[in-house]
Amino acid sequence: MEVASKRRRELEAAVLDKVGEVISAVRSAQRVDQVICALHSLAVLLFPLDYSSLLSGSIDQRYRDQVLSAKVPSEEERWEWWQAFYHGAAYPTLARVLLLDVASNWLACFPLSARVHVYDVFFVRGLSSEVVQTLVPCLQQNASDGHDINYVLSNTERLLVHCLLENDGVLQMAREFCRSEDSISEWTKPTVARLAQMVASIPDKARLRAPVSLSSHLFFKQITIQLLSLAEKRDEKVLDKVSFFSKSDVDDALQFVGETFSRICRRGSADVLLSEISPRILRHVQSLLSSDIDSAVIDVFEAHPGSQFWLKMIEAIKDVYAVERISEQLLHHLVTEHASDVEAYWILWLLFHRTIRHQTSVRSMFVDKFVLWKTFPICCLRWILQFAVLECPPDSNSLTKGHSISGLVDTLQRLLAVWSKKEFVQSASMEQQTYVSAAVGLSLEKMSKEELDETKDVMHLILQGVSCRLESPNHLVRKMASGVALVFSKVIDPKNPLYLDDSCSSDIIDWEFGLATPDKGNLDTSDCTEKDVLKSKASILAPESDFNHTANRGMSNNVKSKTKKLSEFKIADPDEIIDPVTLNNEPVSDIDDDDDNASENSESSSDSSLQPYDLSDDDTDLKRKFSQLVDVVGALRKSDDADGVERALDVAENLVRASPDELRHVASDLVRTLVQVRCSDLAVEGEEESAEDKRQRALVALLVTCPFESLDTLNKLLYSPNVDISQRIMILDVMTDAAQELANAKTVKPKHRTGSLITSISESQPWFLPSGSGPPGATSWKEISDTGTLLNWSSRYERELPSKSGQIKRGKTRRWSLRSSSVQENQMEWSHNKFPVHAAAFMLPAMQGFDKKRHGVDLLDRDFVVLGKLIYMLGVCMKCAAMHPEASALAPPLLDLLRSREVSHHKEAYVRRAVLFAASCILVALHPSYVASSLVEGNLEVSKGLEWVRIWALHVVESDTDRECYTMAMTCLQLHSEMAFQASRALESVETTFKTRSVGLPSNLSQGTIKIPTHKGNIDFV
Amino acid sequence: MATIVKLQHISSFRGKGTRNLIREGMSKRPTPDPVAVLRGHRASVMDASFHPSRPLLFTGSADGELRIWDTVQHRTVSSACVHSAAHGIICVASSPFIGANKVISQGRDGTVKCWDIEDGGLSRNPSVTIKTNTYHFCKLSLVKKPSAHALQAEGHSYHDETEFRGTFDLESLDDSKEKAERGLTECSNVVRGELSHEVEVWDLNTAERLVQLPQSSVGGSPNISTSERGMCMAVQAFLPTESQGSLNVLAGYEDGSMLWWDIRHPGVPVTSIKFHSEPVLSISIDESCRGGISGAADNKIVMFSLDHSMGSCVVKKEISLERPGISGTSIRPDGKIAATAGWDHRVRIYNYHKGNALAILKYHHATCNSVSYSSDSKLMASASEDRTVALWELYPPKT
Repeated sequence: MEVASKRRRELEAAVLDKVGEVISAVRSAQRVDQVICALHSLAVLLFPLDYSSLLSGSIDQRYRDQVLSAKVPSEEERWEWWQAFYHGAAYPTLARVLLLDVASNWLACFPLSARVHVYDVFFVRGLSSEVVQTLVPCLQQNASDGHDINYVLSNTERLLVHCLLENDGVLQMAREFCRSEDSISEWTKPTVARLAQMVASIPDKARLRAPVSLSSHLFFKQITIQLLSLAEKRDEKVLDKVSFFSKSDVDDALQFVGETFSRICRRGSADVLLSEISPRILRHVQSLLSSDIDSAVIDVFEAHPGSQFWLKMIEAIKDVYAVERISEQLLHHLVTEHASDVEAYWILWLLFHRTIRHQTSVRSMFVDKFVLWKTFPICCLRWILQFAVLECPPDSNSLTKGHSISGLVDTLQRLLAVWSKKEFVQSASMEQQTYVSAAVGLSLEKMSKEELDETKDVMHLILQGVSCRLESPNHLVRKMASGVALVFSKVIDPKNPLYLDDSCSSDIIDWEFGLATPDKGNLDTSDCTEKDVLKSKASILAPESDFNHTANRGMSNNVKSKTKKLSEFKIADPDEIIDPVTLNNEPVSDIDDDDDNASENSESSSDSSLQPYDLSDDDTDLKRKFSQLVDVVGALRKSDDADGVERALDVAENLVRASPDELRHVASDLVRTLVQVRCSDLAVEGEEESAEDKRQRALVALLVTCPFESLDTLNKLLYSPNVDISQRIMILDVMTDAAQELANAKTVKPKHRTGSLITSISESQPWFLPSGSGPPGATSWKEISDTGTLLNWSSRYERELPSKSGQIKRGKTRRWSLRSSSVQENQMEWSHNKFPVHAAAFMLPAMQGFDKKRHGVDLLDRDFVVLGKLIYMLGVCMKCAAMHPEASALAPPLLDLLRSREVSHHKEAYVRRAVLFAASCILVALHPSYVASSLVEGNLEVSKGLEWVRIWALHVVESDTDRECYTMAMTCLQLHSEMAFQASRALESVETTFKTRSVGLPSNLSQGTIKIPTHKGNIDFV
Repeated sequence: MATIVKLQHISSFRGKGTRNLIREGMSKRPTPDPVAVLRGHRASVMDASFHPSRPLLFTGSADGELRIWDTVQHRTVSSACVHSAAHGIICVASSPFIGANKVISQGRDGTVKCWDIEDGGLSRNPSVTIKTNTYHFCKLSLVKKPSAHALQAEGHSYHDETEFRGTFDLESLDDSKEKAERGLTECSNVVRGELSHEVEVWDLNTAERLVQLPQSSVGGSPNISTSERGMCMAVQAFLPTESQGSLNVLAGYEDGSMLWWDIRHPGVPVTSIKFHSEPVLSISIDESCRGGISGAADNKIVMFSLDHSMGSCVVKKEISLERPGISGTSIRPDGKIAATAGWDHRVRIYNYHKGNALAILKYHHATCNSVSYSSDSKLMASASEDRTVALWELYPPKT
């Protein structure tokens, strides 16, 4: 040992001497050849160089001789020199000179071959870890020493690309770590980490103009590939010495890999990393699964040498954040690569099964974070549950329950605790809700009734969660509730599933709830569990079989009807075949016409002309038709006569639209009965919708034809304790529709016909003849000879008129009153907004009592859907009255309503959305001149309200959790700025008028302000 | 002979094939519309009757108006209020046997009036007015005789009877009247037939009641109690050839039963049958007087045949209906088809021989009150509560 270390020291001294020599030679060099020579003298000691091709022709003869004459050391000597050079202080010293002085002063003059052989060689053939340590700091060199910094930097970058990427430098580094078993102390963990850090920092340190391969994406991709190839190469190398990896500690190489990977993740390139990792590991697992299925799979995986790298890789990554990023990206990549459940499970197992046992952080990541707070595609959720919660390999591609269910119960309880909270429903994003609901459903599916019974409050939580979801105005949320309820009911009693929703009648619950994008859907079909696939197949088959069935039935029907027809035929003509009846029609039959049945014959033959007509019959026309509104009201009140109610609903709208005289007196009654009639109870199964629709249309018609009377009743009913939420909602819907209809009312006004009031009789015909005017095609008048007495005081004329175009002849009936197209042309039709007159009647009573809590009425809290609808209705009303003076009068009270804290900051996004809508409507509805004049006159109510709208919308944009609220608030802001712009224009014109009238502006103009948001305002002004 | 039989077979097969085709094609054949619709009545049209020889149609409405229509021009010829508007007309009738220029109207005011048809209108006053004091729903019936060719076989004895018969007509209902020849029945002091279960036969010429069925005073067998059967709802009087000129009456009652009376035995009916479960509303006898059709308030139409020698009435065909209520029936004079007027607004046409349905005519939008065929079998009139009379041409006879 002594000798060896002494010898090494000597060697190092020699190397240092030589390096010093070279450096001084370089420094004192006058010509580039001198530099090359100096460098060569060192290089030749360290690397095997190819001389013949090397320097020929590139340098001066003098120096060539010198170069050629250099002594070539033996292989062994060279190795010793190389060791001493790179492990000692010699290399950093020389590298500094090379990278700074030589690069900036001489390198440009180097012939290409010289550059490769006496310059690059020091880096390319060097110890990669040392090379990196010298190169990377150089990237951040400042232009202090008078070097040509640009050249220095680009040279360094070139070298980095050359060493690390083109020559697999990173791979070499890793190899160096694992080779250095003897000198393990040399590579302390911090050093490894530092190196990894250095490597990972290269893309960030590189300049903007650096080669593309140094951009983070390509660079990380390259080094990942290198490191992963290490994993595969090591397989071969390590085959014989399994013990190598059985060391409890992770070796340095793997540590380096781990560190590098975690740095890459930290630098935000986890997706690049995983895009390389996941196909490899997937391939690995697939090959294992396909090769050997029967034996215990865990052993196969552990024993297989190829697995070793993967088994330890995650362990080597100490950074929790990196692990999380890697797991997330892995899951996403597996989805895109269509991994099956089994494959995914084994991949997760391979990577995480050790860490999940030992590291609580990883465990909580899977069980908590990935289930509760992150969202993945649903198949990922299945994998996560299978791996982390159920903790056993999946069986035949479906979720399988392991022996211990404690994890499952724990998870379920944790899930439910979150899921059942009303706040979660109110504030979580839709994706999150979907995901957690799916998690609840999937884990609930795995429970048995007994296990459920044992847990304490699971049932309670489920019921709570389901009930608070069922109230939601969002149909997706309700669907989640019904999905979970269905699963729950199946666990409790498999034979008696509970379908809360008509639409989900199949056994398969779509846990994506239709949120999946189309291509996701594709994925689903291909890589969802086979069970699902099978089931869906079954469900696909089911209608098919149904179809077949019906087809069969149809066919059998056909056959039946045919046979029936045949038999009928036979029955009808029992004696057809032997009877000469038919022959009667033919000359032959005359021969054997029997006297006996002559009469019968004649009968039958005459009967044969009696072919029946279409005998189909229905009773649609038989039902009693209501022609009086009073009858309709009466029929609607008889709730036991479903048929009558239905027919009354059928005719109600048309009767109302006919607007008979008595409508005004009946309207109130009719409104009341229509609101209170129970369509859904009375209507035939499956026709509830149409009955409901008819009812609403009738109500709309009432509101339109007879607004004041109907509104009076409706507004009373709106806050009456005798109606339920659905009726309240319907009332508001109806009012909304009616407002819109009134706003778009069309009136037909016949064009004034210009016709001469006095007809001239200047025509050639005698005065007593009727005038010849008429539609084209009319024949001339003819006098009808009257057969009566001679004393005939009148003459009668007739002529034929062509039928009008557009006149329909139906049967024998002639309809004279058909409006021909030409008549329609003569009539002008224009729309006329009839709504503003009624706006106050629509809005004010409805706005009155919204915040009062009475028996059965609690808009602010429980019946928030009604509140949302109410505000929406008010918004629509504002819009319908837009630009009319009524809008200006009604805006302040509505703004007041919106401003109240319990409305604008309502917990439910539904209400907030409605408020945003209404606010936007106000912005649209107000006439700019009104806004301007309210500013001028100091009408604080309006200006403050509008300012509030802006501030509040800004607030929503900044802090609201609901995405839709956000977009609506953005629109609202835009509308506000537009309104402000228009108002400011109006204000200018006001100012000018004031000036012309030489009236000073009121001093309080400044009190009302409209802020024009700059970002939007700019756009508007452009 | 064998070849002929073979030929027959072939032809019959061919015939069957084509007929089948026709049948299938026909099954899609839409039901025809009325050839004309007569509008003008201001109330429910209760009855319609064709003039026996001229193209005229008599219709009576519930407000007492009797209208005469020209069935060629489809226009009203004349209109007159012949009964009080409060009571209205329930029946109009005409028959060749009462004279070609006469029409009879029965009102719900307890009178039957016989009118002469003058030039383009009714006589100002009825030629005969019979106060029957009946206030019921049964339409009267004029005597029906076997059609001409059947009669001819019977010989001249009927000829002179026709003269007489011209004056008779049978009306029935609970106080129904029949007018019969005085030669046929002799009736002395009959109890006033205000009871609605009795059938009365009146002489149209003399406005005298001839007979009452059952004849209570003459000791008719007490076991035939018509009062249990309820009101008489429909009558049809006819003169079958087999009865040697004595009048027969078929009467339908409220309980669904029908009694067949021979006027020679006013105490005891010939037979009693019960085809229906609800009141019999309409009875028609075909021209040969060997069968008929009855409609009731239940959902059945019964075609029956009368056996005069046995004195029995047998169901020939029973047709069940989807919706109950047949208020009128009529058999076309040529005996090929029969029509019914339904409460369900439909007029149904049946093959009278086979009893199969031929058409369901949907035109009226209210209850149909009666159907009637013209004597030449070409036209059919249906009267409805929707104040219209529809004229139909279905399966016109080949002439």
